[in-house]
Amino acid sequence: MDDLAFDFAVIGAGPAGMAAAATATACGLSCVVIEEAVLPGGQAYRSPPVAFRAPKKDRDRSDGDALRNELARSGATLALGHRLWWIGERFRLATLGPDGPRTYRVTAVLVATGTTERVMPFPGWTTPGVIGLAAATILAKADGVVPGERLVVAGVGPLLPLVVAKALAAGARVEAVVDLAARYDWVRAALEGRSRPDLVARGTGWLARATFARVPWLFRHTVARVTPSGDALGVEIAPVDDEGRPTGVVGRTLAADSLCIGHGLVPTTEITRLLGARHVFRRDRGGWIAAADAFGRTSVRGLYVAGDTAGIDGAAAAPLAGRLAATAVAHDAEGSVGDPDGAEVRSLSRRRAAAVRFGRAMARLSKPRPGLLAAASADVVVCRCEDVTRAEIDAAVAAGARDVNQVKAWTRCGMGPCQGRMCGEAAAELVAMHVGGRERTGLWTGRAPLRPVPLDALIGTYEYGEIAIPKAAPL
Amino acid sequence: MKPFDCLVIGAGVMGATVALHAARGGLSTALVDRGPICREASGVNAGTLTLHMTRADLIPYAIEGWRLWTNADAWLGGDVGVVPAPGLCLAFTDDEAALLEQRSSARRAQGAPIELVDAAAARAIEPGLSAQVQLAAHCPLDGHVTAYLTGRAYRAALVEAGVTLFENMPVGGLDRAGGQFVAEVDGVAGPRGRRVVLAGGVWLEPMLGWLGVRLPIKVLVNQLAVTERLSPVMRSVLTIANGLLSLKQFDNGTVLVGGGWQGRGGRDLGGTELVPENLIGNLRLACWAVPALAKARLLRGWLGLEAETADAMPVVGPVPGVADAYVIGSVHSGYTSGPYVGRLLAQHLLDQEPERPLFPMDRLVRPLAEETAR
Amino acid sequence: MPACRDPRAFERPPFVTITVDGQPVDAVPGESLVAALMVAGRGAIGRSPRGGLPRGPFCMMGICQDCLVEVGGVRCQACLVPVQAGLDVRTVWASDG
Repeated sequence: MDDLAFDFAVIGAGPAGMAAAATATACGLSCVVIEEAVLPGGQAYRSPPVAFRAPKKDRDRSDGDALRNELARSGATLALGHRLWWIGERFRLATLGPDGPRTYRVTAVLVATGTTERVMPFPGWTTPGVIGLAAATILAKADGVVPGERLVVAGVGPLLPLVVAKALAAGARVEAVVDLAARYDWVRAALEGRSRPDLVARGTGWLARATFARVPWLFRHTVARVTPSGDALGVEIAPVDDEGRPTGVVGRTLAADSLCIGHGLVPTTEITRLLGARHVFRRDRGGWIAAADAFGRTSVRGLYVAGDTAGIDGAAAAPLAGRLAATAVAHDAEGSVGDPDGAEVRSLSRRRAAAVRFGRAMARLSKPRPGLLAAASADVVVCRCEDVTRAEIDAAVAAGARDVNQVKAWTRCGMGPCQGRMCGEAAAELVAMHVGGRERTGLWTGRAPLRPVPLDALIGTYEYGEIAIPKAAPL
Repeated sequence: MKPFDCLVIGAGVMGATVALHAARGGLSTALVDRGPICREASGVNAGTLTLHMTRADLIPYAIEGWRLWTNADAWLGGDVGVVPAPGLCLAFTDDEAALLEQRSSARRAQGAPIELVDAAAARAIEPGLSAQVQLAAHCPLDGHVTAYLTGRAYRAALVEAGVTLFENMPVGGLDRAGGQFVAEVDGVAGPRGRRVVLAGGVWLEPMLGWLGVRLPIKVLVNQLAVTERLSPVMRSVLTIANGLLSLKQFDNGTVLVGGGWQGRGGRDLGGTELVPENLIGNLRLACWAVPALAKARLLRGWLGLEAETADAMPVVGPVPGVADAYVIGSVHSGYTSGPYVGRLLAQHLLDQEPERPLFPMDRLVRPLAEETAR
Repeated sequence: MPACRDPRAFERPPFVTITVDGQPVDAVPGESLVAALMVAGRGAIGRSPRGGLPRGPFCMMGICQDCLVEVGGVRCQACLVPVQAGLDVRTVWASDG
C-alpha cells in the first residue's frame, strides 16, 4: 500500500483541530484531518446530522458551524469516519475507514484529540441508565435525546448546569443536582473566570434556569450507590467534605430513570505516550499531559499538541491554541529559528490567555477529589471491561506491584476493549494512595492499535501467497 | 551492606528461577532489576509452551520445562494460568509440508512426541482449523501460560524463599573489590555478592562488557497482538512449519497472535515500535489458520525482545576468565525452558551436579583485550 | 421510562425501520444508533465479562465500548454509527449465544 503524503496531519476535528487545519492550509501546508466521527466538531461542538433542522439558535452550534465552515473552505483533506490505529516512524500513520485501510506519510502531526471524562467508580455505576455527563450533552446536542424523563445530574464542574439546562429544555424533570463543589466554589470560579464575562454569563444563565425550575441543588454531595429498581434507578446520595469524602451522615435515595455523572475531564495522551513524548503530571490541568511549549511543541520533533489534549483549558481556548500550533508547524517547516512572531500571533496569544483563565477556573472547580475514591468499598468495579474490583487492585499492590503497568498485568485492569480509558484514572489513583503520588505510579504504556480495529477490515482479502512470511526460524 | 552469597542481576524468568533455587538451597541471595520483576520478555511473551518451535537440541530441556510449568503449583505456587493443550504445527503448501516433515522428524529424534497427521485428523483435534491445511504435526505436550502473571507468582515465591528483591534499581556496572562483586547503581556502590549471575536477556551483551567479556547478542524485536474476548474459536496451540506463527485462545476468550514477526527498534533507549505491515501479515496468517478469528477486533499490540547468540544456542554457566561470575540467557524458546534451565544453573551454584549439561559460553567469546587488539 | 427524543430540539426526517436482534425498531435516519437503541428501551446492550451483569452505553463518544454491537456482521460501537434504513443490528451478547 502506498503512503499518502502530506506536510501536516491533524488528529481530531474538534475546535483545536479544525482551527489548526484551516490555519495550516492558509500558511500553504498540505494538511489531512483524521477524525473518527462522521462529522467534524468534536464533543464541545458536536453537530446534529445534516438532515436535522434546529428551530432554535444555539451558541455552541453557531460557534461550531463557524469552525466547520472555515475547515470546509480551507482545502484541507478530511478523513472523516477514519480511525487512526497506529502512528510511528516520525511519522507514518495507519487508519481504517469505510473504504478500508490507508497509510499516510507526514512531516508534522498535531494531536488534538481532546479529553475523556473522569468518572470515579461507586457501587452500581455500571448499571445501565448511568451515563457520563459529557455523554448526556452529546445525546442532547447531536440527537436531541434525553436519557430519561426523571434525571439525577451529579458530579462536578460546568457540565452540571449545561446538562440541567438541556434536560429542562427537553421537558425532562431533574430530581436533583448532586454537586461535589460548595456554593462558594462556584462563586470563586466565576470570579476567576471573569476574563471571559460572556462565558460566565452563559453559565449563570444555565444556573438561573435550574433555579427557576426549582431543581434541588445539593452542594457538597455525592452519589454513594445506585441500585436498579424495576426499570428505574435508586440513587443514594450522601454529603461529603471538600475532598469528596462522605461525612458519615446518612443520605437519602432518589428515584430516577437515568443518572448523569462526571468528575471532570482528563486529557487524552495515548498518541503522545505511544510516540514516547515526555509527559508531566499536572493535577490542575487534568493529570498527565505531554510537556509542551506555548505553541504546543512536544519533546518529539514534529509532534505538537493543542486544545484540551495539552491540558484542560476549555473549548473557547482550543481553536486559538490550534491556530498557534499550526503557525508554529508552518514556521518550523521552513527551518526558521525561534518562535513565530507578528501581530497575528500576539493577538492569538492574548485572546487565548483570556480564554485559558476562564478554562482553568472551570478546571479548578472540577479538580479531582481524592476522598471520593478513598471511601470506595472493596467490591466496587473499577475496570468496567474486565470487572476488576478495587479489592483486586489493592491486592496486586500488596503483592508488590508499584506502578500502573504492573497492576494492569497482574489484574487485567485496563486490558479490555476501552484500553484503560474508563478505569485508568481511578486505578492510578488507587495505586498512588499506596505508593505516594501519581508521579510514582508512572504512565500507562502507550500501545497500538490506538482503538480496537476489526481484524477482517485490517487484513482485507488476500491469497496465501500474498502474505510476506519472513524466513524460517532456526531449527 | 553485607555481601550476598549470590547476586543475581536481571529479574526475568531465568534470573528469578536461579535466585529462587539458590535461596532455597541455603545461599543468601539478592535479585536486582532495573525495572519491576518480569516486565520485559518474561512478562510480555506469548506464553506458548510448544515443542514445535523449540530448537531440536533443546527439546529435552523444553520437555522438562513443560513439566515444571504444568506443575507450577508444586514448586512455584501462585497462578500463572497454565493450560496444557494439544499443539498443532501446520503446513498450507507443499513446501511447508516438506519442511514440516523434516523439522518434525528432527525434533522427534530428540525425544519430542510429535506425530504427523492429515488435515482431517488435525481438524478433529482443532475444529476451528481452516480447510486450507494440507498437513499438520501434532504434539500432546504443548499448552500455554499467561505470561503477564509470571512476575506475580515468582515474586511471592521469592519473598517466601527469603530472596532480597531490588526492583527498579538500574545497575550500571560491576566492580570487583575484596573478592566481591559490587553493583554500581547511579554511580555509587549498591548490593554486593561473592558470586554474581548475569541474567539480563538481550542486555547480556553490555552486562558481560562490565566484566571485560565480549559476547555479541542479536536482538529480535518480536511483535505480539491480542484480540478482544470472543466466544471459543479454537482450543489448541497453533504454529506453522517455518515457525512464524503462534496462536492460542485463553480461557477469557482473548486470542493471542505471535510468531516472531519483527518490529522496529532494539534494546537501547528510544525503545521499539510496531511495524503495521508486519502486524497485518501476522494477522493474515492467523486468520488463514483460524478463519473465525477475522470477526474479532484487535485490541493491543506490543513488542518483546528476544536474545540470540551467534549459534542461536544458550549461554548457561560460568563466565570464562572471571571466577565466580555466571551467565544465563539466550535460550531459544527460553520461557518454556526457563524454570528448568534456571534450576540447572542453581544446582551448579549449590555445588550439585546439574541434571543435564549446561551451555558453556567459551565457544562464543574472546576476551575484550583480544578483540581490541584485532 | 427510557430515553426519549425531544420533539422540540429538531425537525427530524421521517422514521425508518432497522432490525435489532431480529425485531423491527423505529429510528431516525442520521441519529446515532446508540440513541435509537436507548429510545427503544434497548439500552442494556452488553454484559459484564465475569459477572454477566447487564451493561449499557456510558460515554456516547467512542471510548467506553459498552455499546458494542454487530452491524451487518461487523463489530462496531453503536455511538459511532449513524442510523440508516435497514441496518441489521445484533447485540454481541445475543450473537455469541
